[in-house]
Amino acid sequence: MDKKLMSVLGALAVLLAIFAIVMFGLGTTEKLGPFNFTVDQATLPLRFAFVVIGILIAFAVYFFTKENKTWEVGTREVVYMAIGAALYAVFSYLFNGTVFVVPSLSQVSLRPAIAIPMFFGYAFGPVVGFFTGAVGNMFGDALTGFGLSPQWSIGNGLVGFISGMVFLFSDKKKSMDTVLYVSGALALVAAILFFLNRTQANMTFFDPANNIFGDSQISLLAGISILIGFVLILAVRFGFASNENIAAAVTWGMLGNILGLGFAAISDVWINGFSLTAAVVGEFLPAAGPNLIFAAILVPLLVGAYAAVQRQSGR
Amino acid sequence: MLVAWRYRKRNSLVQWFDPRAWIIFYGCFLFSTLAFWDVRFLLPFFVIAWFWLLNSGLQWNEIRRPFLFIGTFVFFFAILTFLTGRGGQELYKQEHLIRQFAAPFTILGWRPTLDITVERAFFAVSQFVRVFSIAVMTILIPYSLNPALYGITFKGLGLPDKIAYAMDLTMRFIPTFGRDFQLTMDAQRARGYELEKISGGLIQQVRKLGPIIVPVTIHAIIGSEDIIDAMDLRAFGVGPRTWLEDLIYNRRDHILMAIGVIIVVLSITISLSGHGGFWVPDILIRWATGS
Repeated sequence: MDKKLMSVLGALAVLLAIFAIVMFGLGTTEKLGPFNFTVDQATLPLRFAFVVIGILIAFAVYFFTKENKTWEVGTREVVYMAIGAALYAVFSYLFNGTVFVVPSLSQVSLRPAIAIPMFFGYAFGPVVGFFTGAVGNMFGDALTGFGLSPQWSIGNGLVGFISGMVFLFSDKKKSMDTVLYVSGALALVAAILFFLNRTQANMTFFDPANNIFGDSQISLLAGISILIGFVLILAVRFGFASNENIAAAVTWGMLGNILGLGFAAISDVWINGFSLTAAVVGEFLPAAGPNLIFAAILVPLLVGAYAAVQRQSGR
Repeated sequence: MLVAWRYRKRNSLVQWFDPRAWIIFYGCFLFSTLAFWDVRFLLPFFVIAWFWLLNSGLQWNEIRRPFLFIGTFVFFFAILTFLTGRGGQELYKQEHLIRQFAAPFTILGWRPTLDITVERAFFAVSQFVRVFSIAVMTILIPYSLNPALYGITFKGLGLPDKIAYAMDLTMRFIPTFGRDFQLTMDAQRARGYELEKISGGLIQQVRKLGPIIVPVTIHAIIGSEDIIDAMDLRAFGVGPRTWLEDLIYNRRDHILMAIGVIIVVLSITISLSGHGGFWVPDILIRWATGS
């Protein structure tokens, strides 16, 4: 077995061991000081099975495609990683509501920065996308000076990573159809959860001027924004059917956004003790829904402009 | 607006240490502070943060702006927590009333009332001490880490060459893109574009962000070609990378890291043994209850 594969396997084994210790060791005990590692014992094997499945899926993606050039990191990728992360950090910082107070519409704030990891992932590959999202989010948080949320940085990294996975498929069109079915189903499930839990608080909406700190009831627009976003992506996908790059960028960006932010929100079930409903309706929907709208509009603009640059420079 | 990192060489205690040792100490400090809500345990961290700040060689006029911004923000939220009681209810179940202020008027039958309780007051103090300590240490990083050493610092912390260099470049690009953003914004303003007055529906508003996001991003990508060429010409990534400056740990660096590790191990041990949670003095509770 080659050295590279061994090192990847070693890293995954360590990750699995950490999960096992937390879930089977600390998870069976009562609260330890400020740390609550307790895991519902009735569903413990099922939960651990999902961790194993998740790690196996990630490994399988790499294993079956390890010969793909997408995984190579050269000078170009290193520079694009840095540019993507710096741009994401700067835009996140500027549009976080403290530097430029851009209006929010019915609890939907403008966070256009999310288009950056989607675009960089799609244009330069999953490794660049992951670095852009994860490191950019980390620096963006650090710039505002209020600490980090590692699981959300990884979630943002996954947005870029999954956006770049299009390179692993030889048939872009076929891959887009699959992505649309999967994303559509996930968006629908999340929207149904919203309609079943209309009184859930929007935990991402803060408006100190009106004494709102993530505790106001989620608005209809924020709740259904994932469906609006999906319809817009669908329109871009078929409206730009002749321009495969734009269609693929928004479609894969959508899946990255749903899975990446879904991962981050659902991790809060264990990290912050949220219920599944609170994580999905209160956190995931108001974050991921508007992002789809930004993706549908800004990613095509970036892909179109980049195509023009490529034509001009010949690279 | 971001223009450049504010580093300059200073003859100070903070810059006397190896940047890797400083970052490791910062990490230990951060995790240790987050382990506590008890203001008695948080106070030593508050003192360490102030000691570190006062020995950073920074002048007040250099850090006035970020310091006041972060300080005001932390103070504002602590006051809000105190007034509303939000955020603390997860840490305490019962509140002991010190005094209640009721407005002399009603609004649609509701009388605005402010409850001053022992728990709210102490939670606000604990929150302020905790967040402010972390903020003070975080503010110091860009002022005390030499940008020329970012890459070698990350490499020294165990990252592979390429990732360490990408982190280095990221930190160098952030001020540049901040400036590019400002330039683009000024250019668009000259054409009548006003970011602060974006109007229309949601889709219309998002579309109107294009004239800012797209030029800054594409300009950054075009500008990167020169950097890529320069790196390729120097055979970047062909073999193990050498760095212009070497970092060597001295005895003082080992001592600083050891102190950091001792603090974090002690903090976690104390925390896991059930101490360091939210605390209010018994005397205040007795005073509030009149017993």
